[in-house]
Amino acid sequence: MINVKDIESSIVVIYNKHHLDVYRFLICFSGNQNDAEDLTQEVFIRVLKNLPNFNCTNNLKTWIFSIAKHVAIDHYRKRKFATIFREGFFKQLESNNKKPDEEYEINEMKELVHDAISKLKPSYRAVVILRGINEFSIKETSDILKCSESKVKVDYHRALKILKNKLHFATEEVLTNVK
Amino acid sequence: MLNEKNLMNTIRRTYQQQPREEFVVSTEKILRQKARSMDKRIQVKRLSAVWSGVFLFAVAFSWIFLFSGKDVLINALNNLDEGASSFVINSTKKEPLVFIYHTHNQESFTPELNGNSSENAFSDSKNITLVGKKLSEALNEKNINAIYDDTDIASVLNERDLMFADSYLISREILQNTLNEHESIKMVIDLHRDSQKREATTVKINGKDYARILFAVSSISEHYDINNEFAIELNSKLEELYPGITRGIYLPGESARNNYNQDLHPNSVLVEIGGIENSLEETYRTAEIFAEVVKQVMDDLE
Repeated sequence: MINVKDIESSIVVIYNKHHLDVYRFLICFSGNQNDAEDLTQEVFIRVLKNLPNFNCTNNLKTWIFSIAKHVAIDHYRKRKFATIFREGFFKQLESNNKKPDEEYEINEMKELVHDAISKLKPSYRAVVILRGINEFSIKETSDILKCSESKVKVDYHRALKILKNKLHFATEEVLTNVK
Repeated sequence: MLNEKNLMNTIRRTYQQQPREEFVVSTEKILRQKARSMDKRIQVKRLSAVWSGVFLFAVAFSWIFLFSGKDVLINALNNLDEGASSFVINSTKKEPLVFIYHTHNQESFTPELNGNSSENAFSDSKNITLVGKKLSEALNEKNINAIYDDTDIASVLNERDLMFADSYLISREILQNTLNEHESIKMVIDLHRDSQKREATTVKINGKDYARILFAVSSISEHYDINNEFAIELNSKLEELYPGITRGIYLPGESARNNYNQDLHPNSVLVEIGGIENSLEETYRTAEIFAEVVKQVMDDLE
């Protein structure tokens, strides 16, 4: 599929096949559409640059995601989540086809979910998104994160537990508020 | 309650699951442009590699066939060959024929020292070993491979808490080791400086002062006959060429405390060049003369 002699058509094929998955990983990671788009572009530019060196025996998808993980973690280090949260999160969470109190309820819920996720440490966040949202297998996740499969399992369960606890209390609060 | 599936769906709903259409299109455009410029860079690299190869070949070709490159190459190859063979000759020639050592290595000359007291004509730097060095250099110039030893025997004596009279024990070790190491050695010279006054140790030849030579042969050495013969040969050759340069052969009495290590090699002799009051220059002149004689004796030996 990768034709080094025709890099242009190769990268276009790769981009069209994988950009949505990469974007979904990065939107969950960053919580901000503008950042997620910028980061997605950054990931594919890195993929393009390293394409001549790509070893075809590797799994292309896990290779792309390991690049995406690096881009995400780099970004996280540059800008802490709190600042992003303040800047743009509320503006873009808009829904036009819901009734006012439903809308309020959903927005508050989203805010809570995002708050919970953004407070996970980056390695947990990456595991949850890769396993839960992108639906990678344990093996693929461990390839992307360059760690053991048992670490993936342990981190995933710990991260889920943290999320569930936070969201359990939160949903109850939201519901009682509404009623 | 939240199960895993619900949780993940909640998360999915939380975030905008589609990037904007303009973004997707513009990113594809950017990637296409970058890929094209990469392609160009790769092609430029490949082309420049090919062309520099062609260029180098053309330069080498014209140098070898149109200019004088062929001769230069052939010369260089020939030189390489010669260098290798001359090295082999040198290495076979390296085995020493003459060994020069100094049992009393600190014996020195008062004109070379600042204090003029004749009892203290000893030095740890300006001493008889310089004459031994000169002699070995003179021999090497005459194509007789000579080595000399300048071990500071006086300080070895000090370290081992021995007396001056035990110097021969130390020099014996040195001589023995050297003989074991180099079976090629045909002559052994223990070079000393005499303690006589200037009148006895100096001679004028052609208007120049030369330090005189004295040989000493131990009468208790088991090689006494050959040792003595060897000394006589050196002495008579010197006398022939430079009358007055030698003071003859000295035979310490039967009671001599030691054999001067002359039992270790038949052609070994104790040589005294000059006395306390001679200058290094005078002894160097004599060393040159002595080297001539050693060469003659060596030629006779072969």
